[in-house]
Amino acid sequence: MASVADMYDVTWEDMRDKLRKWREDNCRNSEQIVDVGEELISEHASKLGDDIWIIYEQVMIAALDCSRDDLALTCLQELEKQFSDSHRVKRLSGMRLEALERYDEAGKDYDAILQDDPTNTAARKRKISILKAQGKSTEAIRELNEYLEQFVGDQEAWHELSELYINEHDYGKAAFCLEELMMTNPHNHLYCEQYGEVKYTQGGLENLELARKYFAQALRLNNRNMRALFGLYMSASHIAASPKVSAKVKKDNMKYAAWATSQINRAYKAGHGAKENKCSVKAVEEMLESMQITMS
Amino acid sequence: MGEVELSCRAYVKMYLHCCLFPRCSVNGLLLSSSGSTGGAVCVTDSVPLLHSHLPLAPITQLALTQVDVWCSQTQQRIVGYYQANACVSDSSPTPCALKIADKISEQCENAVLLMFDGSKMAPDYRVPPIVMYERRDSKWTLKDKHTIMLRQWEETRAIATQMLESGDQALLVDFDSHLDDITKDWTNQKLNSKIAELASPANGSM
Repeated sequence: MASVADMYDVTWEDMRDKLRKWREDNCRNSEQIVDVGEELISEHASKLGDDIWIIYEQVMIAALDCSRDDLALTCLQELEKQFSDSHRVKRLSGMRLEALERYDEAGKDYDAILQDDPTNTAARKRKISILKAQGKSTEAIRELNEYLEQFVGDQEAWHELSELYINEHDYGKAAFCLEELMMTNPHNHLYCEQYGEVKYTQGGLENLELARKYFAQALRLNNRNMRALFGLYMSASHIAASPKVSAKVKKDNMKYAAWATSQINRAYKAGHGAKENKCSVKAVEEMLESMQITMS
Repeated sequence: MGEVELSCRAYVKMYLHCCLFPRCSVNGLLLSSSGSTGGAVCVTDSVPLLHSHLPLAPITQLALTQVDVWCSQTQQRIVGYYQANACVSDSSPTPCALKIADKISEQCENAVLLMFDGSKMAPDYRVPPIVMYERRDSKWTLKDKHTIMLRQWEETRAIATQMLESGDQALLVDFDSHLDDITKDWTNQKLNSKIAELASPANGSM
């Protein structure tokens, strides 16, 4: 099989830099990381200097993601040789046990870390991940709540908690988590849009109005967010169609829905060049037309 | 309750959808291009929908509406729903799966709910890794395995495996991906052609 270097005509330095970029962006493109990382390690290890250790860690985690236990073990063993007492490496050893579904042993590794260092957030989060993998959502939620009481600024944890609540259909609590995230990340359009989706799902006139407002906010932050655009269209349409609203509210929402319609049509026409999305363009056009008819 | 036939194209696309997002729960719709014949349902196509936030309403509603419109433009109808849970050991229908399936059964009498069994998706498994449910007395109950037909299963399995090995799942577009980039085609015409090409030496209908 051709090497990555040959297939993409890159040097080992390019490969090393690519891995760094993926680390910085926290990408989970594990198959690519394994392809590039494995070649880098096996053929250019001596040139990497101290970078090799962080690369071993990155490749090991990616290897676990792709069920490449052989590669994961190799990386782990190199790290264990170099950093024999490290908590960071112990956590990796635990992750490998998790990948092999040896959850009890993994849990013991993390407990050992926490005995030594009760503030080790990585170990605590791995324990919660084990609960999630075992389908124990209620316990995972409880543990994550306790964790957040101590580590209230952990964005990743708040987002994870909102996902867990959404899966349990506990939309009120999911909304609360997203509110925390929006407070600390006011420019993040994705949180606004997700909040809008949760409010829409909760239903009822008040929640629909809130949903519409947050979809609008998401669009202000990023006018290419199609989910927010469609969300705005749907919430405004539903409010306008409700028998409980005043004539003014109905008129305003019809205006918002009409604006959203024109934006949606524009976006789809702009992409019309591609023959591929012809079916979707037609479907959207008809859908928007039919929803207009039911509203008036 | 009647027989359900699952076409190669429908199965392969569902399978590739699961493989494209192995860490997420995924779902989608099952379509039929033929009218029902004496209670039998022939699933001729599948449309992959989401790989994130399955229980949330807006995008699901949007997708259902758009697929509905597309179906009426192409003489197809929605006859079922499929889902694969992120948690491999759990293949039971979630509340949102039941809800969507209920909605579909309002319009389609013999609607089918299909769950993927993640634990049986390894390449050495010879049986289809799916569990089907039908609506009986307002409840979704397991379908008798003998009423589920996959014509030319070995062929279908071979095609699915071959496409997975060539990384063709990267070509699949679900509704979520379409919303990320609306130039992508959630009807997956390209993938359909590829599947047809691989299946063409086979005899009979797909």
